[in-house]
Amino acid sequence: MLNIGNDIIDLQLAKTESDWQRIGFLEKQFTEKEQKEIYNSENPFLKVWLFWSMKEAAYKCYTQKVKKRFFAPQKFECLLTKEDEGVVTFQNTNFYTTTFFDASYIHTIAEDKLIKGGHKIRVFLGVGSPNNLDKDITKRLQENTGILSSEIEKRKIQIGVPQFYHHHKFLTNSCSISHHGNYGAYAFIINGN
Amino acid sequence: MTKEQLLEKLTAIVKPYVQNEEGFKNLNEETDFINDLEINSANLVDIILDVEDEFDIEIDNDSMENMLTVKATIQIIQNKMNA
Repeated sequence: MLNIGNDIIDLQLAKTESDWQRIGFLEKQFTEKEQKEIYNSENPFLKVWLFWSMKEAAYKCYTQKVKKRFFAPQKFECLLTKEDEGVVTFQNTNFYTTTFFDASYIHTIAEDKLIKGGHKIRVFLGVGSPNNLDKDITKRLQENTGILSSEIEKRKIQIGVPQFYHHHKFLTNSCSISHHGNYGAYAFIINGN
Repeated sequence: MTKEQLLEKLTAIVKPYVQNEEGFKNLNEETDFINDLEINSANLVDIILDVEDEFDIEIDNDSMENMLTVKATIQIIQNKMNA
Protein backbone atom coordinates (compact mmCIF):
# COMPACT_ATOMS: atom_id res chain seq x y z
CA MET A 1 0.00 0.00 0.00
CA LEU A 2 1.11 3.48 -0.70
CA ASN A 3 1.74 5.71 2.29
CA ILE A 4 2.19 9.44 2.49
CA GLY A 5 3.82 11.64 5.13
CA ASN A 6 4.17 15.38 5.36
CA ASP A 7 5.94 18.04 7.38
CA ILE A 8 5.59 21.79 7.60
CA ILE A 9 8.16 24.25 8.93
CA ASP A 10 7.21 27.79 9.89
CA LEU A 11 10.48 29.48 8.93
CA GLN A 12 10.00 32.46 11.23
CA LEU A 13 9.44 30.15 14.18
CA ALA A 14 12.34 27.91 13.18
CA LYS A 15 14.58 30.96 13.39
CA THR A 16 13.66 31.71 16.98
CA GLU A 17 12.84 28.24 18.28
CA SER A 18 16.01 26.44 17.24
CA ASP A 19 19.61 27.49 16.85
CA TRP A 20 20.97 25.29 14.09
CA GLN A 21 24.46 26.64 14.80
CA ARG A 22 24.39 25.29 18.34
CA ILE A 23 27.33 22.92 18.87
CA GLY A 24 26.16 19.36 18.31
CA PHE A 25 22.83 20.30 16.75
CA LEU A 26 23.74 19.29 13.20
CA GLU A 27 25.91 16.35 14.25
CA LYS A 28 23.05 14.68 16.10
CA GLN A 29 20.61 14.68 13.23
CA PHE A 30 22.44 14.98 9.93
CA THR A 31 24.92 12.65 8.25
CA GLU A 32 28.39 13.97 7.47
CA LYS A 33 27.44 14.30 3.84
CA GLU A 34 24.36 16.34 4.70
CA GLN A 35 26.36 18.54 7.06
CA LYS A 36 28.84 19.29 4.29
CA GLU A 37 26.02 20.16 1.94
CA ILE A 38 24.53 22.48 4.55
CA TYR A 39 27.80 24.30 5.17
CA ASN A 40 28.49 24.64 1.44
CA SER A 41 25.03 25.93 0.73
CA GLU A 42 24.28 29.54 -0.12
CA ASN A 43 21.57 29.49 2.49
CA PRO A 44 22.54 27.01 5.22
CA PHE A 45 19.51 27.87 7.36
CA LEU A 46 17.10 26.96 4.57
CA LYS A 47 19.03 23.78 3.77
CA VAL A 48 18.86 22.66 7.41
CA TRP A 49 15.09 22.95 7.43
CA LEU A 50 14.65 21.51 3.96
CA PHE A 51 16.55 18.37 5.01
CA TRP A 52 14.77 18.29 8.35
CA SER A 53 11.32 18.44 6.71
CA MET A 54 12.34 15.69 4.26
CA LYS A 55 13.44 13.45 7.14
CA GLU A 56 10.29 14.16 9.13
CA ALA A 57 7.98 13.56 6.18
CA ALA A 58 9.75 10.26 5.40
CA TYR A 59 9.59 9.22 9.07
CA LYS A 60 5.86 9.95 9.18
CA CYS A 61 5.37 7.91 6.04
CA TYR A 62 7.38 5.01 7.48
CA THR A 63 5.70 4.91 10.91
CA GLN A 64 2.29 4.44 9.30
CA LYS A 65 3.55 1.14 8.00
CA VAL A 66 5.56 -0.14 10.98
CA LYS A 67 3.35 1.45 13.65
CA LYS A 68 6.15 2.23 16.06
CA ARG A 69 7.76 5.47 17.09
CA PHE A 70 11.42 6.30 17.52
CA PHE A 71 13.81 9.23 17.12
CA ALA A 72 16.60 8.59 14.65
CA PRO A 73 16.82 11.57 12.29
CA GLN A 74 20.39 10.78 11.26
CA LYS A 75 19.35 7.40 9.87
CA PHE A 76 17.09 9.04 7.31
CA GLU A 77 19.54 10.20 4.68
CA CYS A 78 18.50 12.91 2.24
CA LEU A 79 19.54 13.15 -1.36
CA LEU A 80 18.29 16.01 -3.49
CA THR A 81 17.62 15.11 -7.10
CA LYS A 82 16.23 18.54 -7.96
CA GLU A 83 15.89 21.74 -5.99
CA ASP A 84 12.49 20.62 -4.74
CA GLU A 85 12.61 16.84 -5.18
CA GLY A 86 14.59 14.20 -3.41
CA VAL A 87 14.94 10.71 -2.01
CA VAL A 88 15.23 9.88 1.67
CA THR A 89 16.72 6.49 2.42
CA PHE A 90 16.11 4.62 5.65
CA GLN A 91 17.33 1.04 6.02
CA ASN A 92 17.18 0.31 2.29
CA THR A 93 13.75 1.83 1.90
CA ASN A 94 13.37 4.87 -0.30
CA PHE A 95 10.94 7.68 0.26
CA TYR A 96 10.33 10.12 -2.56
CA THR A 97 9.93 13.72 -1.49
CA THR A 98 8.55 16.89 -3.00
CA THR A 99 8.97 20.23 -1.26
CA PHE A 100 6.92 23.38 -1.66
CA PHE A 101 8.80 26.57 -0.80
CA ASP A 102 7.02 29.68 0.35
CA ALA A 103 8.59 32.87 1.74
CA SER A 104 7.36 31.91 5.19
CA TYR A 105 7.17 28.10 5.20
CA ILE A 106 8.53 24.86 3.78
CA HIS A 107 6.12 21.98 3.14
CA THR A 108 7.47 18.56 2.23
CA ILE A 109 5.57 15.40 1.37
CA ALA A 110 7.09 11.94 1.20
CA GLU A 111 5.70 8.83 -0.49
CA ASP A 112 7.05 5.31 -0.20
CA LYS A 113 6.41 4.48 -3.85
CA LEU A 114 6.86 6.52 -6.95
CA ILE A 115 3.41 7.33 -8.22
CA LYS A 116 3.23 6.53 -11.87
CA GLY A 117 0.39 7.03 -14.26
CA GLY A 118 -2.24 4.32 -14.14
CA HIS A 119 -2.36 4.11 -10.35
CA LYS A 120 -5.91 4.62 -9.23
CA ILE A 121 -5.06 6.88 -6.36
CA ARG A 122 -5.51 10.53 -5.72
CA VAL A 123 -3.23 12.63 -3.53
CA PHE A 124 -4.49 15.72 -1.74
CA LEU A 125 -2.34 18.35 -0.07
CA GLY A 126 -2.98 21.59 1.69
CA VAL A 127 -1.52 24.27 3.91
CA GLY A 128 -3.60 26.50 6.18
CA SER A 129 -4.13 27.53 9.75
CA PRO A 130 -3.17 24.92 12.38
CA ASN A 131 -6.59 25.26 14.03
CA ASN A 132 -8.61 24.44 10.91
CA LEU A 133 -6.78 21.33 9.76
CA ASP A 134 -9.54 18.82 10.50
CA LYS A 135 -12.18 21.06 8.95
CA ASP A 136 -10.06 21.57 5.84
CA ILE A 137 -9.58 17.83 5.44
CA THR A 138 -13.24 16.89 5.94
CA LYS A 139 -14.25 19.60 3.49
CA ARG A 140 -11.82 18.23 0.92
CA LEU A 141 -13.16 14.73 1.55
CA GLN A 142 -16.75 15.91 1.09
CA GLU A 143 -15.86 17.51 -2.23
CA ASN A 144 -14.21 14.35 -3.47
CA THR A 145 -16.33 11.55 -2.03
CA GLY A 146 -19.73 13.18 -1.87
CA ILE A 147 -20.02 12.25 1.81
CA LEU A 148 -21.23 15.07 4.05
CA SER A 149 -18.36 16.50 6.09
CA SER A 150 -20.56 16.40 9.21
CA GLU A 151 -20.70 12.62 8.87
CA ILE A 152 -16.95 12.25 8.58
CA GLU A 153 -15.21 11.31 11.76
CA LYS A 154 -11.53 11.55 12.62
CA ARG A 155 -9.98 8.71 14.58
CA LYS A 156 -6.44 8.24 15.71
CA ILE A 157 -4.78 4.90 15.52
CA GLN A 158 -2.22 3.85 18.12
CA ILE A 159 0.81 5.84 17.09
CA GLY A 160 -1.13 9.04 16.60
CA VAL A 161 -1.69 8.74 12.86
CA PRO A 162 -5.13 10.09 11.97
CA GLN A 163 -7.63 8.36 9.72
CA PHE A 164 -10.94 9.75 8.56
CA TYR A 165 -13.97 7.48 8.67
CA HIS A 166 -17.52 7.44 7.43
CA HIS A 167 -19.25 4.99 9.78
CA HIS A 168 -17.07 1.89 9.54
CA LYS A 169 -15.44 2.68 6.28
CA PHE A 170 -12.16 4.53 6.22
CA LEU A 171 -11.91 7.24 3.62
CA THR A 172 -8.25 8.13 3.74
CA ASN A 173 -5.94 5.31 2.74
CA SER A 174 -3.04 7.18 4.22
CA CYS A 175 -3.13 10.50 6.02
CA SER A 176 -0.56 12.74 7.63
CA ILE A 177 -1.00 16.03 9.45
CA SER A 178 1.63 18.44 10.60
CA HIS A 179 1.63 21.77 12.37
CA HIS A 180 4.26 24.29 13.26
CA GLY A 181 3.79 27.88 14.38
CA ASN A 182 1.25 29.66 12.21
CA TYR A 183 0.80 26.77 9.80
CA GLY A 184 -1.02 23.50 9.58
CA ALA A 185 -0.58 21.11 6.67
CA TYR A 186 -1.99 17.81 5.51
CA ALA A 187 -1.46 15.14 2.90
CA PHE A 188 -3.78 12.22 2.28
CA ILE A 189 -4.53 9.58 -0.30
CA ILE A 190 -7.85 8.29 -1.59
CA ASN A 191 -7.84 5.01 -3.45
CA GLY A 192 -10.11 4.18 -6.33
CA ASN A 193 -11.56 6.32 -9.03
CA MET B 1 21.77 11.15 42.36
CA THR B 2 18.30 9.88 43.31
CA LYS B 3 15.62 9.34 40.71
CA GLU B 4 13.69 12.29 42.19
CA GLN B 5 16.67 14.62 41.77
CA LEU B 6 17.11 13.35 38.23
CA LEU B 7 13.46 13.94 37.41
CA GLU B 8 13.69 17.44 38.84
CA LYS B 9 16.68 18.29 36.65
CA LEU B 10 15.05 16.78 33.58
CA THR B 11 11.85 18.76 34.24
CA ALA B 12 13.87 21.98 34.27
CA ILE B 13 15.54 20.99 30.99
CA VAL B 14 12.32 20.29 29.07
CA LYS B 15 10.41 23.31 30.43
CA PRO B 16 11.49 25.87 27.78
CA TYR B 17 10.41 23.57 24.94
CA VAL B 18 6.97 22.63 26.25
CA GLN B 19 3.95 23.63 24.13
CA ASN B 20 1.29 22.00 26.27
CA GLU B 21 1.25 23.50 29.78
CA GLU B 22 -1.45 21.11 30.97
CA GLY B 23 0.77 18.17 30.06
CA PHE B 24 3.71 19.84 31.81
CA LYS B 25 1.72 20.32 35.03
CA ASN B 26 1.02 16.58 35.05
CA LEU B 27 4.57 15.58 34.13
CA ASN B 28 5.46 12.12 35.40
CA GLU B 29 7.50 9.12 34.31
CA GLU B 30 4.95 8.13 31.70
CA THR B 31 4.96 11.56 30.03
CA ASP B 32 5.68 11.47 26.29
CA PHE B 33 7.61 14.50 25.03
CA ILE B 34 5.76 14.76 21.73
CA ASN B 35 2.28 13.42 22.50
CA ASP B 36 1.84 14.92 25.98
CA LEU B 37 4.05 18.01 25.98
CA GLU B 38 3.74 18.72 22.24
CA ILE B 39 7.43 19.41 22.03
CA ASN B 40 8.56 20.05 18.49
CA SER B 41 10.68 17.17 17.24
CA ALA B 42 13.51 19.53 16.25
CA ASN B 43 13.62 20.62 19.89
CA LEU B 44 14.11 17.01 20.97
CA VAL B 45 17.66 17.44 19.73
CA ASP B 46 18.04 20.45 22.05
CA ILE B 47 16.79 18.37 24.97
CA ILE B 48 19.32 15.65 24.17
CA LEU B 49 22.13 18.23 23.98
CA ASP B 50 20.96 19.85 27.24
CA VAL B 51 20.88 16.45 28.97
CA GLU B 52 24.42 15.74 27.76
CA ASP B 53 25.63 19.07 29.16
CA GLU B 54 23.77 18.83 32.45
CA PHE B 55 24.82 15.28 33.31
CA ASP B 56 28.17 15.32 31.51
CA ILE B 57 27.35 12.22 29.48
CA GLU B 58 27.33 11.36 25.80
CA ILE B 59 24.13 10.02 24.29
CA ASP B 60 24.84 7.76 21.33
CA ASN B 61 22.44 7.35 18.42
CA ASP B 62 21.02 4.05 19.62
CA SER B 63 20.08 5.52 23.00
CA MET B 64 18.70 8.63 21.36
CA GLU B 65 16.26 6.50 19.37
CA ASN B 66 14.26 5.73 22.52
CA MET B 67 14.28 9.19 24.07
CA LEU B 68 10.59 9.89 23.53
CA THR B 69 9.43 9.60 27.12
CA VAL B 70 10.54 10.80 30.56
CA LYS B 71 10.91 7.20 31.69
CA ALA B 72 13.20 6.17 28.82
CA THR B 73 15.28 9.32 29.24
CA ILE B 74 15.81 8.75 32.97
CA GLN B 75 16.82 5.18 32.26
CA ILE B 76 19.35 6.29 29.64
CA ILE B 77 20.83 8.94 31.94
CA GLN B 78 21.15 6.41 34.78
CA ASN B 79 22.81 3.85 32.51
CA LYS B 80 25.30 6.38 31.16
CA MET B 81 26.12 7.78 34.59
CA ASN B 82 26.73 4.32 36.00
CA ALA B 83 28.81 3.21 33.05
